[in-house]
Amino acid sequence: MNAMPSNPPYEALIQAVGLNKVYKRGSEEIVGLWDINLSILPAEFIVIIGPSGSGKSTLLHLLGGIDRPTRGKLSVKGVDLVSASEATLTRFRRDNIGFVFQFYNLLPSLNALDNVILPLLAKGMSWKDSRSRGAAILEQVGLGHRQKHTPEQLSGGEQQRVAIARAMVVEPCVILADEPTGDLDSASANSIIALMVELKQRLGVTFIVATHNPLIVQAATHSYELVDGRLNSFSQR
Amino acid sequence: MHVLGYYTLRDLLHDRWRSLLTILNMTVVVVGYLLLTALSQAFILFGRQPQITSNLVIISADALDPMESSLNDDVLQIARQIAPEQIRANFPTLFRHMSIQGHVMQVRATPLENLRADLSLTLLDGSWPDGPQQVVISEGASQITSWKVGATVEIYGTDFQVVGVVRAGGNKFASVWMTFTEGQRLFGTSRGFQIGTLLLNPSANPESVRAKLQSDPRFSGKYAVYLENSLSDRYNQINHDLLILSLIQALISLLAITFGIYNAISLSLTERSREILLLRVVGFTQDKIRSFLLAHTLVLASAAYILGWTAAFIFINFQRTHAPISIQAAPLVLKLSSPATLLGFLLTVAFAFLGVWLTIGHLSTLNLTGRGE
Repeated sequence: MNAMPSNPPYEALIQAVGLNKVYKRGSEEIVGLWDINLSILPAEFIVIIGPSGSGKSTLLHLLGGIDRPTRGKLSVKGVDLVSASEATLTRFRRDNIGFVFQFYNLLPSLNALDNVILPLLAKGMSWKDSRSRGAAILEQVGLGHRQKHTPEQLSGGEQQRVAIARAMVVEPCVILADEPTGDLDSASANSIIALMVELKQRLGVTFIVATHNPLIVQAATHSYELVDGRLNSFSQR
Repeated sequence: MHVLGYYTLRDLLHDRWRSLLTILNMTVVVVGYLLLTALSQAFILFGRQPQITSNLVIISADALDPMESSLNDDVLQIARQIAPEQIRANFPTLFRHMSIQGHVMQVRATPLENLRADLSLTLLDGSWPDGPQQVVISEGASQITSWKVGATVEIYGTDFQVVGVVRAGGNKFASVWMTFTEGQRLFGTSRGFQIGTLLLNPSANPESVRAKLQSDPRFSGKYAVYLENSLSDRYNQINHDLLILSLIQALISLLAITFGIYNAISLSLTERSREILLLRVVGFTQDKIRSFLLAHTLVLASAAYILGWTAAFIFINFQRTHAPISIQAAPLVLKLSSPATLLGFLLTVAFAFLGVWLTIGHLSTLNLTGRGE
């Protein structure tokens, strides 16, 4: 079974057809993803569930242009991620994709604001404009008062908010979140889910979230299940 | 550009211990390089061939050490009879190896006029001996003993005053010179003198004169005639070995600084591969990441080099004053030369950059899960 709707809309933001990812370990081939078909519209909230090692992270890396498929077609916002050069992929990620990771992946040497503005600096925005925009985004995620704090001075939930702010700051069309609540207590997890839903509704950004957390599934517009690298429709609202 | 500097500084200051450990790691390599280079250069200087002179020297044929030689004035007169046109002058030298106040030295006694004019000695400080119980010492002797002009040294139970310090061309050993008269008073006359020196006319060919003397029946089997430098080399075979040793040391020092620095930087960057990958994920190009890490590495490498150079400088100065090195009483002088310092810095920076370049290249094949593509 594949997860592609029978009548894919023409305005699909993400279009994956027959996507495969195979890793080689010596002479052995390990299947990470197998025949993934997916069509995602703008402003959707997609949740992908599945056991550890099922290929959730691999799929997010492919959708975000961090990694390339072994076979298949993949386009995001009209950009062919399979044949794009490394430089094109870097620009594409910088301008269109936000990433949120389970363990936040903030740079420990930088305070919250400096972490948030990294993508803007990568884009070439001026120092002053970057800081002003970064401060505004931190206000939006409720951390306006914690700008100068380094990651070690922030709680897990706060660090994840900073990570979300960093993902949002370039106004991407897609945010890919890999177990965003996996390292948080339930109260912090709930507030992160609420924040993602609010941002999706307010800013129209597409969220694709890989998770074990059933609460996130409830917030999804579409849910999929990955088992042994194969994607199945899980539920639809 | 100031953003790059800001992030570099923040990064270095935030993780002080890691920065410090990386610097110390490289510092050890730099100190090793500088000390090995200094030792290597000291050996090269020590083993350098002396200037060619046209003097011939005569010693007893059966003497392995000039100290065992015994000559008299007749020998010098015979030499002049054999080659009267070529030999313009001659003089005797008393020669001893002695322990003087715990230091092994060569003691030579030569007529004053020859001491000043014919032995390639340059007076660096003080004056030539012109009275009883006066000596001049070589600068090597001064370095290993700290004797200066005015010092009193006891030789063979007699006190002598150091009246001058000289540089002796071609002589590697710590030496004391006195007049022939003082030498005879000190050592007696029973063994004659040990070395006869023949000064040749400028037009004479030293080798042909030497051959002529050596083949004369009055010399053959009794006396050995050498070019002055050949005699010196006969007792300095160690020079050749030291030159080879110094080349090996130089090679080791170059390997140490190149591989050591490369390794230190590679390890440091591999430890933080996750942060580097993150910069790639948020949209920094490979070139921007490389620039950031090169700036970061340049700061670390420069700090390590300055620290390493300072440590080596302090060590060498301490060694010179408190534990001077000598080979058979000839001083081995360590110093940090400008070319070696500059070469070391360039190699440090170059191999630190190579470490960044290759590590970044390797990391570009990984993703944040740490898996290769």
